[in-house]
Amino acid sequence: MKPVACLLSLLFLSSPLLAADYTMGKGSTLGFTGTFQGEAFKGRFGDFQAKISYDPADLASASFDVTVHLASANTGDTDRDESLPGSDFFNITKFPTAHFVTTRFREEGGKVIAEGTLDLKGVSKPVNLEVTFAPREGGATLDVSARLNRLDFGIGSGDFADTSTIGAEVTVNAHLELESKT
Amino acid sequence: MAIKSTETQWGGMAKLLHWLMALAIIGNGIFGLIMVEMPRGMGKLNAFALHKSIGLTVLALLLLRISWRWFDRKPRDEPMPRWQSLAAHLTHGVLYLFMLALPLSGWIMNSLHGYPLQFFKLFNLPALAEKNEDLSELAETAHETLFWVLLLVVIAHAGAALVHHLFERDNTLLRMLPFARLRQRKSGDSP
Ligand code: HEM
Ligand code: HEM
Repeated sequence: MKPVACLLSLLFLSSPLLAADYTMGKGSTLGFTGTFQGEAFKGRFGDFQAKISYDPADLASASFDVTVHLASANTGDTDRDESLPGSDFFNITKFPTAHFVTTRFREEGGKVIAEGTLDLKGVSKPVNLEVTFAPREGGATLDVSARLNRLDFGIGSGDFADTSTIGAEVTVNAHLELESKT
Repeated sequence: MAIKSTETQWGGMAKLLHWLMALAIIGNGIFGLIMVEMPRGMGKLNAFALHKSIGLTVLALLLLRISWRWFDRKPRDEPMPRWQSLAAHLTHGVLYLFMLALPLSGWIMNSLHGYPLQFFKLFNLPALAEKNEDLSELAETAHETLFWVLLLVVIAHAGAALVHHLFERDNTLLRMLPFARLRQRKSGDSP
């Protein structure tokens, strides 16, 4: 009797009660903002994948899993874009992708914070995202933003670690157009 | 040395600005030619930033110099043929124009490139034009050409001053030099 009850409850608890699963649709963007010589510049990653499971009413079972192909970084400046793949910055021959996965979601002052781990250039560090989720017909839009210190991940090493020229803080923000998985 | 100019002698302020700016302009131009050959890296970025900051300083000093020149008086020309004093005044006017055009063309070029413009890491200045890669090439050529032409004019200008000093044996050069004592005029020269 006992094993059967267990099985039944497992079945019951699975699919329908899990947070909604989504795929990433067109119009999704992943960008970042840094500063150089006192001026902000924006960049984008053209190539990334996101697996999103999210239900505002059930944060305990939400999860984000994002993979970014670093070679796709573009900041609109030839010199800078030719430097980014190099060993002083992303070092893409050794570390072609960055990976972020959530560990826990919590609410703080009416905002949802996704805690997770960012794996970038061989360094794994905790990073928190601020989450804004808005359901819509057939899916949802999800906006997240995070602030991180580029030096935590060794982005801009050697001479480039000089934060009086290249600011330490980088803001990362993503806008995802989510389609419901059916 | 009085700070203001007199009938016969440039004042301390005019001399200071003349020589400080001459040094900064020629120095910054040579530095500009060297820095563009540097290998890519932080050293080059810092060299560019320094070049721009010095250039902006020249622009600021120019505004000060023009204001001062307005307020100050100009010494009377040393006795010389009329064509020479006309040529000298024309050259000085052209030099003033170059002192404006060089940093300004650099600033415009920098804006067209879409580069930031920071004054000695203290504050940023706005772009003077929208980013435009094609036009930036043109502006770069203009900026460099302006420097080479300025150099030619300066050689003529300095050459003329030396000719007056060595052959006319007048005070044209001496009255612009710091700490120099003027030559006594031969009697009959003074009006
Ligand atoms: C006294 C004023 C200045 C002088 C004499 C001067 C002269 C020069 C010279 C000779 C070069 C080398 C050109 C080449 O070989 O391509 C250069 C390059 C440059 N200058 Fe200036 N400059 C002055 C002011 C400025 C200012 C105020 C700025 C910016 C706000 C500026 C921005 C630049 C830049 C960005 C380059 C590099 C162009 C490249 O990428 O090839 N300059 N300058
Ligand atoms: C390094 C060599 C230089 C020498 C020997 C030199 C010499 C002189 C002398 C002797 C005068 C005074 C002329 C007079 O009393 O009538 C003068 C004036 C002047 N110089 Fe130079 N100079 C040099 C470089 C420069 C440079 C690099 C610039 C600017 C780019 C410049 C711009 C001027 C201007 C604009 C005046 C006229 C000042 C006025 O009337 O307000 N000079 N220079």
